[in-house]
This record gives sequence, C-alpha cells and structure tokens, in this order.
Amino acid sequence: MYATVDSIQQELFQNDYIAERGLATAIFLSLKLGKPLFLEGEAGVGKTEIAKVLSRMLQTDLIRLQCYEGLNASSALYEWNYAAQMLHLRLLEASGANRDAMEHELFTRQFLQSRPLLQAIETSQSGHPPVLLIDEIDRADEEFEAFLLELLSDFQVTIPELGTISTDTPPVVIITSNRTREVHDALKRRCLYYWIDYPTFEKELRIVRAKAPEVEPELARQITAFIQEMREMDLFKAPGVAETLDWTAALIALDQRALTLDVITETLGVILKYQDDIDLLTTDALTALNNRAILQAQTESMTG
Amino acid sequence: MTDRANNPLESGGQLLHNLLLFGRVCKTLGMDVTPNRMIEVAQALNYVDLRNRLDVYHTMRAMIVTRHRDLELFDQAFDLFWQRPTDDWRVLDLPAAGDERQGGLKALLPPGASPSGESENSQPAPEMTLTAVVPTYSQHEALRRKDFAEMTAEELSAAKQVMERLPNTLGFRRTRRFKPGKGQQIDLRRTLRDNMRYNGEILVLPTVAPRTKPRPVVLICDISGSMERYTRIFLHFMHTFASSADQVESFVFSVHLTRITHAIRHKSIDRALQEVGTAVRDWGGGTRTGDALREFNYRWSRRVLGRGAIVMLITDGWDRGDPDLLRQEAARLQRSCHRFIWLNPLLDIPDYEPLTRGAQALLPNTDDFLPLRNLANLEMIMKALQQLNPRASGRPAYRQLSMNR
Repeated sequence: MYATVDSIQQELFQNDYIAERGLATAIFLSLKLGKPLFLEGEAGVGKTEIAKVLSRMLQTDLIRLQCYEGLNASSALYEWNYAAQMLHLRLLEASGANRDAMEHELFTRQFLQSRPLLQAIETSQSGHPPVLLIDEIDRADEEFEAFLLELLSDFQVTIPELGTISTDTPPVVIITSNRTREVHDALKRRCLYYWIDYPTFEKELRIVRAKAPEVEPELARQITAFIQEMREMDLFKAPGVAETLDWTAALIALDQRALTLDVITETLGVILKYQDDIDLLTTDALTALNNRAILQAQTESMTG
Repeated sequence: MTDRANNPLESGGQLLHNLLLFGRVCKTLGMDVTPNRMIEVAQALNYVDLRNRLDVYHTMRAMIVTRHRDLELFDQAFDLFWQRPTDDWRVLDLPAAGDERQGGLKALLPPGASPSGESENSQPAPEMTLTAVVPTYSQHEALRRKDFAEMTAEELSAAKQVMERLPNTLGFRRTRRFKPGKGQQIDLRRTLRDNMRYNGEILVLPTVAPRTKPRPVVLICDISGSMERYTRIFLHFMHTFASSADQVESFVFSVHLTRITHAIRHKSIDRALQEVGTAVRDWGGGTRTGDALREFNYRWSRRVLGRGAIVMLITDGWDRGDPDLLRQEAARLQRSCHRFIWLNPLLDIPDYEPLTRGAQALLPNTDDFLPLRNLANLEMIMKALQQLNPRASGRPAYRQLSMNR
C-alpha cells in the first residue's frame, strides 16, 4: 500500500486534498495499524472529505453511516425485512408448514437487510476492505457509542438467528465529530485522534486552486485573504473551508474577476449563516476587512 | 472461625437480638436491609471471630452497605451501636435519627473522630444529643423559609442536607429511542414473533413508546460582589446537584465566565470548593453578565446545549456591563436552549422590582423569573420542573412556573 507518510501526502494531493503533515501521518498510521481515525474540528474543514478521498485512493467502496439521535442497531447494523417475512409466512401457512419449519424458513439471509456496519463487515470479507465513514458521531447518543465500541474492537456481529459474521481484514474506519458534545474517552482511546484546524493562508489558497482550477489566481488570493481576515473577527460561526469553496463557486458563477464591496455584500449569505454575524459586518466593517484582505493578498503574491 | 457449639448467635444470647436491632437501625437510616439479608449476615458471622471487632465490622459493612454514600453513615451507626454499654445508652435513640436520614447523623461525630472500630474499648461515647440535629416540623419549616443570606453556619449545613434530598433531575425529555409499550408505532419485530404462535395470522399488534431521559442542565451562577452572601450556598447546591445528576454543566461568572464542571464534581465538597477557588480568578468582582453570557454562547453553547437543555442563571441582576450586549446574548441563549430560567435571590424581597438596567435587559429574554432565596423556593422550582411534559418542544409556556409561587 503506502510505504511512507510522504507517499500518502502526495497521493492525497493528487486527489485534490491538501493535507498537512500531521493529518497525513495520522492517516498513514491508521492504515498501517488498522485503527480507526477519529477526526474532530469545526464544521466545514474537510473531515468527511477525507473518507471520500481515501476510498478513491484505495480504490474501494465508501460506506457511510450518518449518525443521528436514536440511531440504533436496526438502522446501523441489520434489520429483518418484516414485510417480506410476513408475506412469506402467509405462503408457508397456506402450504401447511408446521411452526418449526416456519421459523427455520423465515430467518434466513434472504430476509436480512444489511445496514452500513454489517455491509462494511460483509464487504471486508471479500478481502478488499471498504472505507467505513461514521459521520458526526456526536449527533448519536451514548447508547450508540457503547454499541460502536464493541463493534470496533473485533469487527464481528452475532445475529441470534443466523450466527456470527466476522472479518479478518477490517474496514478502514473514519469517525468524524463536530464536537457538539464530548465523545466518550473509551471510544477515543481505540482510535487515532486528529484535530483539523482552519487552514493557513497558503494551504487554503492551494485548496481553492485545487478545487476550482478555473478561478483567476488574483481572485483566489483575494477570496482566501478575505476569509482568513474574517476568521480573525469575533464571529459566532466563522466560515469553514466549505464556505470558502462555496463562495468561490458563487463568484465564478457571477463572473466576478475581483472582489468588490457590492459583490461581497450580495453574497455574504454564502459565507455567514447567522444573522447576528451578518449584522456585525456593516459597510464600514466590510470596507476595512476588504482593504486588509487586498493588502494581504498583495503581500502574499509578492512573497509567494 | 468460632466453634459452632459456643456460637453466641445460636445460643440464644443477646447478640442475635442486637444484630437484628442493628439491622433495623440501618434500615431506618435508609440502607437496603431486608430480613433475608440479615439472615445472611447472621450466617456470615459464624465464620468470623466475634471477639475481633474489626472483623465483625467489616463483615457487616460488606453485607449491609450497598451504596458508597452509605458507608460513612454505616460507620457512625456501627460505632454508636456496638459500643460498651454506658449509662446514657438509652438516650441514643438511633431509630429516631433515621426519620431524618442524613439529617444529622453525618454530623454527629466531631470532625477527625475515627469512624471505624479500630479498638474495642478506647472509643469514648461521643457526646451528642440527637434531638438537637433532628429538626422538628416547625424548625424545619422555619429553615425552609429562611433567607439563605441570614442563615447561621448550623442552618447552612442543615440546608445542605435538605438539598441532598431534592430531586436530581429538572424534568425529562423524549428521546428518539423506543421501548415496548403503549404508543403509536407498531413494533414489527415483535409483531412477527408474537404472531408466530397463531401460525402467521396477525392477531396482536405490539407497539413501542418513546423513552424519556433527564434533560441536560446548565447552571450559571453569579459570584460577583453583590451576590457574595449567597455564593457559598449556591456553590453547595451546584455541588450537590452536579454529583447526583448525570448531565450537568456548571459555570460561574463575575467579570469572566469560568467553567467549573470538572472542579465541582469532586466528591468532597471542601476539595470541590478548593478546586473551584483555584479555577476562578475573579471572585467577588464586578458583574458583566452580558460578557459572561457572550462567552458562554460563543465557547460553550454548541457543546453543552444539545438535547433540549435547561439553563438556570442565578444572579441578582445587578450588572455593570453593556445592557445591549446582555439583551442580545440572553436572547441568543434563550433561542438555543429548551428553557432559560432566571433565579434571583432578591426577587422575594417585598419592595424589589427588577428595574436595574441589567434586569430590564435580561427579563424579556427569559422563560421563567423566579425567586431563589430559601429552600422552599428551591424545592418548588425543582418539583415544578419535574412535572413538565417531556413531549413539549419549542418554547415552553412563559412563566408557567411562577404561577405556583
């Protein structure tokens, strides 16, 4: 697979994901040690994206489990197809089968619906383990965390009616959290942990250029500098990289070649999602912000 | 091991009688003692040397106590009960002490007295009058109505014991999880299973009902100069509440906001207060409620306000900060939690009107505005919150609680 951290970093870059050294190392170790990677960070810094890129790099399936409160085994692991079972039951009844036979026929693989976690184990059995993305684990409740803990330790599922399903080649597991609550230590202990921060100017510029190659270099610098300046402000929700990219796309769609105050005002809703934050950016504040951004973009273009 | 023939338990002596009496004492103290358990204790005592007080002590302790918080109580009861008879033996009306569980026994021994039976006879009978620490009804009522700020040290410690008996939740919320029960949703899994016995004819339709869970609670307490007289008792309340409930986040503020969730969880209240003391840098300073709430909103709200939290802000409303900021941040906080309750120790003072700028800014953005000056207030608030409908989502009925005042 990948022999060094450098090769991982290179390959991520080839796939349009700009990762700093620390993240590349964490991914490298996660693949080498077969341990889940636990990613935390503000919303929109590219946590989920890593799983997608990784599945492309490894040329394997991406199986995604989106967490929410009340997520339970029947939506995460497996569920019997009750409707089909009941139909089958009526057929058996009509054919005059006895109860033992009914039970025997009803609980077979044919009526089992795999949910993401079981899918991941079953896909792994083929020897080509998928990437399993457990997204926004902080939205699930503690009960699910405890359940996950058990699964992650041995990648084996016991279905009472069918028996045990397990795999020797566990999937590559990526777990993300927006930290709306603290995830239990026991779960974190089983994982490699990495906190993804907001990117630096250089990194963010590279991300913009990689994701939107058609953008004018000058505009890309201005956008990046503007967002970077904005993150310095005391906002309730600072814009993430996702917002930077959305904004870039919006500006391209509007055929803009440079940032002007009017365009910024019109498209502010793409970057800021709280009315309080938008109110904070009066025309004066925006002008000052834009001037600083232009200045920074110029210095960066000279040094870079 | 004691020779069975000489076993005082079986020879019909006083020991068995006393043992059962001790069991009843423990039961009245709130421990989970059943007749069956006492039979087992008696059996177990066959296997230890009854002349060795320490062994007997540990045997009984291991078998009678089932909760950590009862250990101390047991130790004291053991020492009082199993001592050399003295002349004033009869005044030790132990079962009477049980009527006021933790209402005194914990404080019976002078601090530093060794609780366990290290030696058989060196322990002098502690000087105490049990009646003094068991408040009568009228004393209890007086305590409940007394302003926290005017309490003496003894009354404060009695008040703390009352607090320990308060409910440890502030109402419930519906979760997205289900349990078998009467509800709207059909439980397909059980439908299939249960109807197998009718050979596949669907005759019964079992349903599931949503589970409920205690709501997360956030306590934010003002520790500025004007609140000084109340700070200590409120910290005690936070400690009691945080150590008995699951999801409690605790914060204090005067100029800055300090999160004391971990510090206050310490088992011993003294250690907890000490840790809080080191964590907080601005005891008794000026009040900047707006800044504190802003810090809470920006740094903590997303992490601690999930899952329909109840926020209790304890402050007198004297504020030196910017009222506009306070208005804005209080409104934001109210929007992001299930219920935002302002508890004010001054509210029950006859002439008090929330007219200060801070109070004016805060008041329109709270769901409830309630007095917190004595135990009766506290009991009322917690009981009223218990009774709220777990289903209710969105804004609760404004000041619903105040009507019960």
